[in-house]
Amino acid sequence: MMLAVATIPPYGWSQALADLGQISPIATLTGFFLFAIVADLVIPITRRSGVVAMVAVVGLSYSLGTAVYRWLYATGDYAYQKMATGDNFALFFDILFCSLGILTVAISHSYLVKRGMREGEFHILILASIIGMMVLASATSLVTVFLGLELLSIALYIASGFARDDNRSQEAAAKYLLVGGFASAFVLYGMALVYGASGTTIIPDIAKQLANADLGNPLLILGVVLMGVGFAFKVSAAPFHMWTPDVYQGAPIPVTAFMSVGTKAAAFAMIVRVFAGGLPHLAPEWQALLAFVAATSMVVGNLMAITQTSLKRLLAYSGIAQAGYVLIGVIAGGKAGLAAVLYYLFVYMFMNFGAFAVVTLLAGPEGDRDRLSDLGGLYRRNLPMAVLMTIFMLSLAGFPPSVGFFGKLFLFTAGVSAGYTWLVVLAVLMSVVSVYYYVRVLIPVWTATRAEPLRASFSSTMAIALSGVFSVILGLYPTSLLIAAQLGANPFGP
Amino acid sequence: MTLTSIWLLPLIGAVLIAFMPPRFAKWMGVLVALVTLGISGGVALAFAPNFHGYQFTEQVPWIPQLHIFYHLGVDGISVWLVVLNALLTVIAVLATPVEKPGSNRFIALLLAMSAGMAGVFLAVDLVLFYVFWEAMLIPTYFLLWLFGEGPSPGRAAIKFVLYTLAGSLLMLVGVIGEYVFTGQQTFDLAKLATIPPSATIQFGLFFVFALAFAIKTPLFPFHGWLPDAYMAAPTPMLVIFAGVMGKTGAYGMLRILVPLFPNPVDWWDWRWVIPVLAVAAIIWGALMAIAQRDMKLLVAYSSVSHMGFIVLGIFAYNVQGQQGAILQMVNHGIIIPALFLFVAWIADRTGTRDRSALAGIAPRMPVMAGVFTIVVLAALGLPGLNSFVGEFMTLLGAWERAPVLAAVGAIGLVLAPVYMLRMFQGAMHGEPVGQRPSGDIYAGQLALVTPLIILMFAIGLYPYALTQLMTSVAQTGLYR
Repeated sequence: MMLAVATIPPYGWSQALADLGQISPIATLTGFFLFAIVADLVIPITRRSGVVAMVAVVGLSYSLGTAVYRWLYATGDYAYQKMATGDNFALFFDILFCSLGILTVAISHSYLVKRGMREGEFHILILASIIGMMVLASATSLVTVFLGLELLSIALYIASGFARDDNRSQEAAAKYLLVGGFASAFVLYGMALVYGASGTTIIPDIAKQLANADLGNPLLILGVVLMGVGFAFKVSAAPFHMWTPDVYQGAPIPVTAFMSVGTKAAAFAMIVRVFAGGLPHLAPEWQALLAFVAATSMVVGNLMAITQTSLKRLLAYSGIAQAGYVLIGVIAGGKAGLAAVLYYLFVYMFMNFGAFAVVTLLAGPEGDRDRLSDLGGLYRRNLPMAVLMTIFMLSLAGFPPSVGFFGKLFLFTAGVSAGYTWLVVLAVLMSVVSVYYYVRVLIPVWTATRAEPLRASFSSTMAIALSGVFSVILGLYPTSLLIAAQLGANPFGP
Repeated sequence: MTLTSIWLLPLIGAVLIAFMPPRFAKWMGVLVALVTLGISGGVALAFAPNFHGYQFTEQVPWIPQLHIFYHLGVDGISVWLVVLNALLTVIAVLATPVEKPGSNRFIALLLAMSAGMAGVFLAVDLVLFYVFWEAMLIPTYFLLWLFGEGPSPGRAAIKFVLYTLAGSLLMLVGVIGEYVFTGQQTFDLAKLATIPPSATIQFGLFFVFALAFAIKTPLFPFHGWLPDAYMAAPTPMLVIFAGVMGKTGAYGMLRILVPLFPNPVDWWDWRWVIPVLAVAAIIWGALMAIAQRDMKLLVAYSSVSHMGFIVLGIFAYNVQGQQGAILQMVNHGIIIPALFLFVAWIADRTGTRDRSALAGIAPRMPVMAGVFTIVVLAALGLPGLNSFVGEFMTLLGAWERAPVLAAVGAIGLVLAPVYMLRMFQGAMHGEPVGQRPSGDIYAGQLALVTPLIILMFAIGLYPYALTQLMTSVAQTGLYR
């Protein structure tokens, strides 16, 4: 095995600035993150949450703007000796995570006030987690991947247990910590084995090294499998999904909403970076592994969701199933497949987050109200929210003309084109099952059981309404987002 | 923009009407439906009979990455169904009682459903077709569930949706398969008909599409949703639900199954599967209709039987059969709403739909009985009324294809008078029982069915008015 001898060029100011430019969305957000910590220290406790939330929104918007600017006017390149990159793939996810962060902060402020959790740390943790996600999307080295993964996870472990006087929240945090640590260990072990086989941790160099290496090396295969298992944990795909329903149910809803979309998207970014970017020569191996995981996820997620009476658990299982659909695009690969993945993850943010956000509104001072019956009479309590919830559910179920349908259309087209027709047929049959439980959520929404009005704060209303609008608009006119997704998938081949 | 307005106008109307006060909503709904009917009628009048291909086409790139177009057009197959849909929408909205709570939402959903079905008939792009096909389920589900009758409308609604989706989501695989396996990367229906994939691929795709359409039509043995859904559906909804929705399935067969999959595999000619099921549907539907005492259910099963004739005609693979099928789609769309309306009105006056509990209505409600006679006679295929021509043509086509199919199918013609006349005689004649019904049919109700009655005579006496527009299609070889 030949070890690549790294020749380090002299590192000057211009190079430093260029490198910083490549990761400027992350750098910007980190700056605001530090500022938020300081703000949280100096501001009186009654105002902390509000001020820190404002800082977070401004920081996220600023970072979002930076990412959009770089998308439009800058060329993406490697930075820090190929440890990270600012390519379109990274920027696409930066935009996704920043938008998600803004939506999360928007719905969580009134929730925190209602539940009497006035601490500003909540928003700081969300910011830290987003920084981790963005690092993950930009990572082109296994080391950076792991750095991002841990940053995002540790912040979320704490956030899941944020309701300190709620036992279930504590249980969720402990469970998430244990299982998450376990998954991280899997990923790390796999990385070590791949490093051993290729002699480098730089992902593009791994691909080069393995081009003429012995691919039958059992340790290398084991490394791929271990990483695959760890990744499957993180995207909450079956049979590695056991933690998902419990953690989703226990965590405060804004956290659940955030991680149901954010962690999943970040983990998919990681899978694409490492597998499609670093191990294209081992594609048959990880495709087989992921195909198995995808099939199991779709079956387990959809069947288990049927009997749930808690909305959070139902959406958790639905998320497991949705992870299965998205994996089809990853397995199909190529520009079409990955573009479909990016499109789906982006629109999944709106429909899934929106659904959770509506549930957030139901919460009372004593805790989250997430039983199906808690949605009762929503159309009388708050008609716009009932309409929006209907949009989110129909979109998750994949009814046209919502984004859910077009996302599936792109994923399935890529799947059939790549020869995975059996997987697509399974996905389609399982989608029929999914319609049953998504529609079941709508039954209490449109049944007159209660009528006391349900108030939503301005920022929550805006966040949910925006999610609803995008869930329809991006379906009726998917072209622009699809072009962006294709540009984002560009770094991974034709 | 002409064709776009046919589906977009009702949809915009639906959104507006949902927020209007009920009384105002109804007249607004009628207005929207009438304007749509006017546009559709204008298209039919301006339709050029001897033109090859689609007319009034509108084509805009929609998702260029996947070569998906917003592509609308009408030809001899679809033009009459578009008009029928628009006409029945007017009648359905007019038949809606304003007194019930939420009638503005009811009318809005009716219009949305009608818009979806118009889109199905107008779409020339496979994905667009699919989008409308699925989208029309949403208002249908809410109509059945929120406004349904009977003990558990929610169950009937979800049963209908799951049945339909089981077929149509598999059809999504078929749609994608057409795109991938033809090797041309197009969803254009006209183009796809010229580039069929290999016979083995066709084998799979044919059944994927056939299942979706068979469930929607419905064909025996995929009709399990129909009795529940038709029983739960309120009558104004049934006017377009029974009148048009079933036709979308038959239309899909004619538009997609027949032209896109011409080559059966060597070892099995699967093109016989559907007509055999159609004959089974004719007989099964008729027998079930005979067994029913509830008149609404009886009419529902008669619909299964009649749809069998349509499908039989389509899969005769000849001009007579397919023209007869199109004609019969229109005929059935005229007769079934009238039957359901009358059943509902009888039930309204007498308090029951049980044909064995009714007797002697005719002397008490002479006008109702008179008009109902015409509808019943049309339904059982009396020469001179519209249904006769269509059924005759479908059977003629089937005879040319396979005499045995036509011979067995013709049993349905014998059974139709049995259940229709038994219902009619039982309810109308004999010694009057029970309370005196609260008056004869209203003038408004009579006016509601008048256009349908006129059409029954007009098409029965001069079917050429419709068939001449279909000849162009049958002869261009768009379908064989």
